[in-house]
Amino acid sequence: MASEKIRKVVEMSGISFGVRVGKQGNRKSWSLSRLGTRFWSWFWFILGALYFLLPLYATANFSLRMERDVIGFKAYIRAFEDPEFLKTFLYSNVLALLTIVASIILIVPTAYWIRLRLPEARRIVEFITLLPFVVPAIILVFGLIRIYSSPIKIPFTDTTLFQPLTTFEVGTDILIVAGYMVLGLPYMYRSVDTGMRTVDVRTLTEAAQSLGASWFTIIVRVILPNIRAALLSGALLTFAIVVGEVTLASFLGVPAFGPYLFLLGQHRAYEPAALSFASFLLTWVAMGLIQLFTGGQGQAAGAH
Amino acid sequence: MSYLSISNVTKQFGDAVVVDNFNLDIEKGEFVSFLGPSGCGKTTTLRMVAGFEIPTSGRILLDGADITDKAPNQRNVGMIFQSYALFPNMTVAQNIGFGLRVRKEPEAMIKQRVDEMVGLINLEKHANKYPYQLSGGQQQRVSLARALANRPQVLLLDEPLSALDAKIRVSLRAEIRAIQKSLGITAIFVTHDQEEALSISDRIVVMNVGEMEQVGTPFEIYNFPKTRFVANFVGSLNTADAEVVDPAKGLVSMDGVQLEAAEGTDGRKKGDKVKIAIRPERLSFASEQKKANVVDCIIENITFLGAVVRIQVKIGNTKFNMDTFNNPFLELPKIGAKEQVTCSKEAVLVLDD
Repeated sequence: MASEKIRKVVEMSGISFGVRVGKQGNRKSWSLSRLGTRFWSWFWFILGALYFLLPLYATANFSLRMERDVIGFKAYIRAFEDPEFLKTFLYSNVLALLTIVASIILIVPTAYWIRLRLPEARRIVEFITLLPFVVPAIILVFGLIRIYSSPIKIPFTDTTLFQPLTTFEVGTDILIVAGYMVLGLPYMYRSVDTGMRTVDVRTLTEAAQSLGASWFTIIVRVILPNIRAALLSGALLTFAIVVGEVTLASFLGVPAFGPYLFLLGQHRAYEPAALSFASFLLTWVAMGLIQLFTGGQGQAAGAH
Repeated sequence: MSYLSISNVTKQFGDAVVVDNFNLDIEKGEFVSFLGPSGCGKTTTLRMVAGFEIPTSGRILLDGADITDKAPNQRNVGMIFQSYALFPNMTVAQNIGFGLRVRKEPEAMIKQRVDEMVGLINLEKHANKYPYQLSGGQQQRVSLARALANRPQVLLLDEPLSALDAKIRVSLRAEIRAIQKSLGITAIFVTHDQEEALSISDRIVVMNVGEMEQVGTPFEIYNFPKTRFVANFVGSLNTADAEVVDPAKGLVSMDGVQLEAAEGTDGRKKGDKVKIAIRPERLSFASEQKKANVVDCIIENITFLGAVVRIQVKIGNTKFNMDTFNNPFLELPKIGAKEQVTCSKEAVLVLDD
């Protein structure tokens, strides 16, 4: 009786949202509705996948057609043979590694301390980490050049601390790594913070302290291994940003991979496509390695 | 001089006084429980002993040394947490050996101690497993072994059984007590579960709103509560308003029904308003031999609780619970029947109104 009543109400209202209200017929409409939901889920998934995969396919396809009517790797060979490629690629990789190490040294203790002792500062720090999304890289690089192109003095004295950073190679490298740290800040901080959310940082810290561990030991042996997956994600994102970055590298005049790729794109057609696709594959390999090395940890964190 | 001495310790967070003038001396090898409701300051006191909180005032001495301002990693104190706090990236053996590795002990000694500890908690087969591969009870045993591996001077247990199911809780608390006794280690156990505290402790400190209400053996705390809070918090209790009739004889009157108390009326005057309290298991049906504190009552309700049958009786205008052991051959009275109940004068507790 009750189910009949419900069916009537549903029919009268003209609503059909897959509620199981009757016997055979209603069961049928319920499964049809479920089928409909599954169809739309797959539809949106495939649409999304195409959005990402089609340009990728087009790039890969284009990069293989350097020679007329022949599918081959000539564009890749020519791109990799260029000595500038290796030089700029290695340079950008070194910059990326330095940026990642410096970011970890700065961000892990900061995120840890905020979680442990200064939760009230979290909103402010989150706001700061979002600034790179709001302030364009061009503003950042002009700010850096303006401040560090003159000697740095101790305030209110004539004592020079160090010469303008933009005037020598190491100085420029320091500036660009600092700039990259700012650009990678939202990704690295959020990855680390999310990683710390999955472990009970406070209790683990107290447990380690009661066992005699110092702050350094706690961070290196307890915190870092437990946020390994998050660190790798942050590192990968930072790596991707640094290797492809153009603005900072161009204005600071460093021989990085981003400006090289940009210049190549202005003069050649197939090689940039080949290098873009190769970079994409490299990223995927890196993601695969992350999965490989952190699979166990994900399981542990889930159980925890 | 006592082994662990907590003297005049007060802890304030802003304006809120969380622990107020706490004083306690603990002997070596003693097992002391801090018992009280949430927010009574028991965990804060424990954390001050561990070094995670610094007292606003007062001193904490351990084996004669002042540890009040020492960092947690400089006190030789082991701590067990409600959430186990095992390091997820380390195996059972690595967790247990962590403190020894931090101290840079020789590898052979670490292995020997880890084996010893794993044996102590009967987890030899699980030494190479990760925490997520163990049950809650097993994880807490690993946590115990990890804390004990460093041979701490004091073992602190912060509600270690709260996250476990009832059966594991009972078996693990017995295990903790047995290990503590066998090692002769001084332990402080924080709990809000009175049964846990009563079953495991040498002494219990009952706390309420930052203050110590009573310190005593489980027997004293249960049978001779000194304050109304302790009487109410530990065990179930019947309470009623009463008036002192004859302080010398220990006579009090409740709704016109006179009861004799063994103590608690000294220093009071005739007509003083008091509260009387009687534990449900101290009441029984009156037999012909018993003459003291025999009062008329009406049976209001009967509840079967398995091992115990709870009978609610009305004495005067007050309802009392009376617990009696279940006996399949016991003939229970009918609801509404008129009966007589009795209790010894020692069972009548006279408390401040």
